[in-house]
Amino acid sequence: MKSFIDKILIQPLQEVVQKLVAFLPSLLTGIVVFAIGLVLAWLIKLLVVKIIKLLKLDAAFTRSGVTEALQKMAVKDTPAKLLGRMFFWLVAFIFFVLALSVMRVPVIDQLLERFLLYLPNIFVALVVLAIGWFLGNFLGRAALIASVNAGFKVAGPLSKAVKGVILLFAFVMAFEQLGIGRSTVVAAFAIVFGGAVLALALAFGLGGRDLARTFLDKRFKKSGEDERDDLKHL
Amino acid sequence: MLGKTPDPAGSGRTKIAGLKDIDILVGIPSYNNARTIGHVVRAVEAGLTKYFPGRRSVLVNSDGGSSDGTTDVVREASIDFDSILLDHRKGGFHKLVTPYHGIPGKGSAFRTVFEIARELEAKACAVVDADLRSITPEWIELLIKPVFEEGYDYVSPYYMRHKYDGTITNTIVYPLTRALYGKRIRQPIGGDFGFSGRLASFYLDKDVWESDVARFGIDIWMTTTAIANGFKICQAFLGAKIHDAKDPGADLSAMLHQVVGSLFDLMEEYAGTWRTVKGSEAVATFGFVYSVGLEPIQVNLEKMIEKSQMGIRELAPFHRSFLPEDALAFLHDLAARPDRGAFVYPDAMWVRTVLHFALACHRKLASREHIIKSLTPLYLGKVASFIIETWDSTAEEVERRLEELCLAFEGEKDYLIERWNGKA
Repeated sequence: MKSFIDKILIQPLQEVVQKLVAFLPSLLTGIVVFAIGLVLAWLIKLLVVKIIKLLKLDAAFTRSGVTEALQKMAVKDTPAKLLGRMFFWLVAFIFFVLALSVMRVPVIDQLLERFLLYLPNIFVALVVLAIGWFLGNFLGRAALIASVNAGFKVAGPLSKAVKGVILLFAFVMAFEQLGIGRSTVVAAFAIVFGGAVLALALAFGLGGRDLARTFLDKRFKKSGEDERDDLKHL
Repeated sequence: MLGKTPDPAGSGRTKIAGLKDIDILVGIPSYNNARTIGHVVRAVEAGLTKYFPGRRSVLVNSDGGSSDGTTDVVREASIDFDSILLDHRKGGFHKLVTPYHGIPGKGSAFRTVFEIARELEAKACAVVDADLRSITPEWIELLIKPVFEEGYDYVSPYYMRHKYDGTITNTIVYPLTRALYGKRIRQPIGGDFGFSGRLASFYLDKDVWESDVARFGIDIWMTTTAIANGFKICQAFLGAKIHDAKDPGADLSAMLHQVVGSLFDLMEEYAGTWRTVKGSEAVATFGFVYSVGLEPIQVNLEKMIEKSQMGIRELAPFHRSFLPEDALAFLHDLAARPDRGAFVYPDAMWVRTVLHFALACHRKLASREHIIKSLTPLYLGKVASFIIETWDSTAEEVERRLEELCLAFEGEKDYLIERWNGKA
């Protein structure tokens, strides 16, 4: 009976304790590494916020519309604080990964390896989103200014549409890069985009016939003397 | 310092034409001006024959690839000297028709003129627009003689224009140039200038031919470069200026971008010069100043105000990134005024607006093109306000009104300098 109890209870328990004892130094090292990482992350966060304040980047973010966009997304932090927080979590995450690798657990090692191989995709997706964001803003503003100066009454919606389409493109590309619902996203985008273009074509074709006629009349007919403007600006 | 540079835009044109040692060169940039250029060529030829009979002169038509037969008109244009009571002294006048290269625009055409002037070592030069309908032979005398006989390097035109002709000049370019550089050059972007061969060579050595200077920016660049580099300048009264629109295809915001953009670029280049200038002074004016009747200009005020108000409303979020609060509040109010009589853009507010646009470009607060093009609806607002205010005014009264605007610009110079230096 005693040998049976030894075999099914004591020996496994001893093995567990032995493994725990063997693992304990690695665990402690991991915890220490992660703790150091947290302190370092906190210091880097302070440094980033300080640098942003010194370079007056907050004002630049406000001018470029980033602050306003964040507020629209219900982000209450300033871009400086947000960037500081991002750096904090980035450094903390790196040290978390380091701590896990120090522990040398095979399953975690495998998961880490797969995650690290996936990491470039996340980076590329973020870069694509950032470029899309800035390009959307820039071209949206260019469309707004051009249409305002051309006297289009739909300048605002037109500008928002330009910006929206570019952001949509960026999101689709980012999702494709991440491999999330690749075929679904592309198909959905094609359907939505094609549908929107078709809807616009129908709307303009059917609803805007009179408007188009009036526009062409004004553009090419010599009548309409009342509309004439002889100002020579130069 | 002013060494010869290669002539990339067609070396040897003058050799082919068998020309050398020219005293006077008159350049005419053109692009599809067949309708008007014949008159300009004849006026130039008559002017050179009448006022510079013993001089060797050449007319250079620098064409941008016209498809309406402009160059044929130039070649065929000739004068019946008997009918204008002139002796035709053969051998002294030559015509050269040449295409220009580079960015399409007036500036590139001028570059070719400068190159030929240097190649021929011309002593005095002039350029006149191809769209002029009011040019007379006397224009050539007035543009060339101050250079040839009085030792001036740059002769700026001074015309009688309709009170609503040249509104970019009147509301931005003249007042700002005068306030910055302290010289009262009334038509800094007039388009018709006289200049010495020395100055032509100086222009040619500047590395600006790939910028807006190559387009509509050339006029303000020539004037400012001459003033800021200490060349001897004057202006000549040429009478009435009646011309076709500069480029019917070019839209207002593009013109504004090129002209105002060049003006702002020059502010960067010559910041060290204009920061030390206080007030302004008159420059020598040649010619007999007289009043002339001018063609009426039809203005669609309603359309202008509507466009301005819509633009101000739509662009408010963008303007918030560089205009001060008081200007934004004023614009918000202006865009909401339904009563045309109350549509007033005061000088003080307009001056602040223009200066803050210049500062925004200086500080690179956004794309330079976006900043300047977004000035268009505000500019239309100022023009509309000016037209409402001066609807019943005579040309002299309008000039006095513009003088007030110029003084407002001069009065805000310190405001600009403080902010330019980054103190405020």
